[in-house]
Amino acid sequence: MDKVLLVDDESAITTNLAPFLERSGFHVAVAADGEEALSQVSSFAPDLIVLDVLMPRLDGREALRRLRRAGNWTPVILLTQVGESTERAMALEEGADDYLNKPFDPHELVARIRAVVRRARPGRPPLTSAQRLTSEELLLDRRSRRAYVGSEELRLTPKAIMLLEYLMTHPDELLTRDRLLDAVWGWDYPAGTRTVDTRIAELRRALGDNPAQPRYIETMPGQGYRFVGDVEAAP
Amino acid sequence: MKWRRWGVALLPIVAGLVVAALVMDVPTLLNPIIYMRADLGTLAMIAGLSLSVLVTVGLALWTRAEQRGEQRATNVRAQAAEERRRFLRRLDHELKNPLTAIRAGLANVVNGSATARQKEALASVEGQVLRLSRLTADLRKMAELGTRPLERVPVNVAELLQEAMTSARDQPEAASRQLSLTLPQVPWPVPAVPGDRDMLFLATYNLIGNALKFTRPGDAVEVRAFEDGNSVVIEVADTGPGIPKEEVPRVWEELYRGQGARGVPGSGLGLALVRAVVERHGGRVRLRSRVGQGTVVTMRLPVR
Repeated sequence: MDKVLLVDDESAITTNLAPFLERSGFHVAVAADGEEALSQVSSFAPDLIVLDVLMPRLDGREALRRLRRAGNWTPVILLTQVGESTERAMALEEGADDYLNKPFDPHELVARIRAVVRRARPGRPPLTSAQRLTSEELLLDRRSRRAYVGSEELRLTPKAIMLLEYLMTHPDELLTRDRLLDAVWGWDYPAGTRTVDTRIAELRRALGDNPAQPRYIETMPGQGYRFVGDVEAAP
Repeated sequence: MKWRRWGVALLPIVAGLVVAALVMDVPTLLNPIIYMRADLGTLAMIAGLSLSVLVTVGLALWTRAEQRGEQRATNVRAQAAEERRRFLRRLDHELKNPLTAIRAGLANVVNGSATARQKEALASVEGQVLRLSRLTADLRKMAELGTRPLERVPVNVAELLQEAMTSARDQPEAASRQLSLTLPQVPWPVPAVPGDRDMLFLATYNLIGNALKFTRPGDAVEVRAFEDGNSVVIEVADTGPGIPKEEVPRVWEELYRGQGARGVPGSGLGLALVRAVVERHGGRVRLRSRVGQGTVVTMRLPVR
């Protein structure tokens, strides 16, 4: 049974969420702030940490930074609050494996936990912490926000780069349109799924990816998208 | 307008010149009262010139006062907008944690064993919680619109509108409305607008969605776009019940719901979002309405 450390200063959230996670098949411990979380990490040894960002004493972001600085690569899902796109981008850069915007669907949290645990490579940094990612001929430089196929730079909008970044840091994972909308755009609206399709089409055009025989982005009919290429951290 | 005003300052000097030309033949005038000898033409010119100088100085003072007033009004408006945004951010923030807790709590209960009636009640509560969640999502959009960086790429207006139309047709009301799109092709199509495609899509989709929501079966909804000077104008017009005159100026306010909007689901943030998107693009919005005839909403977006 996977062990999950749930960290949030709102007791209303932890008292409701912990039993739900237990029922979903996880062994759960609770911490109320960053410092408590860090001490639980050594005693409880969780397989994954669900970490709220805004907390008294030591906030989630700083706790995550300390954890990573100490070379601890326990997967982390950040619960972002401010919801600004820069905050979301920062979450991945600072070594979170995934993030969810509050208020979220608890079932979505379970789906995220399962996906992250499955993807985790014990003791090794996650793809989300790599500055450069490659898949076949595709190279994404996350710091400069540029993407290349071979030696040729792709002409992509900033939003398409963000989408590519999310896809490449979550390879081989079914990502629903709603999830992509929430993760990359940070909001959802009735017709938003079409926005996702438009950007996926932009990416495919730039990558020269054939949807019928995808090397990179596969459409899962009626469900969403999946990055099918093998992704590695590049030096 | 400004230039016409400055032109007024030239009038006296021009008049002076005209009089001078007309009285060229009149001999030197002797003023019996102040014993001054002068050419009548010269006098007219001097009078004109001094009057022009006076008018210019007056106009300069007036314009400056006016600019200061405008500046002050703009500052007040910007400050009010910033305060509103800050308030919305706080509201969003305060709603998030309780909503997260309620959703987790509900998931727990629904997971467990409940009677049919309890399940019904739970489903209804869940529906309302989702509604509140959507409201917070809209509040977040509002707050973000003020700060987040905009993409600036050429956006194909025809494609954008066609896509928004296709999405809007998925709305249940669409089947019973006459929805049409008019795009000029001759002599050239509507030019691209530099901007953030997703935001512009959101704005356009919101307007069409509104038109569908607030009209009755059989009503017509017309979407059109055209070039006007250095702008592209996108209009969504409908033959709906219209909005009372006194409500028109307020429809762009956050969370404002007019009389006609009661009973129609929505957050009251749709038009405020549209305005925020358009203003971030340096454009302007406008709404014209006649009760019993319909409503036209206009987005004017600069092409350069």
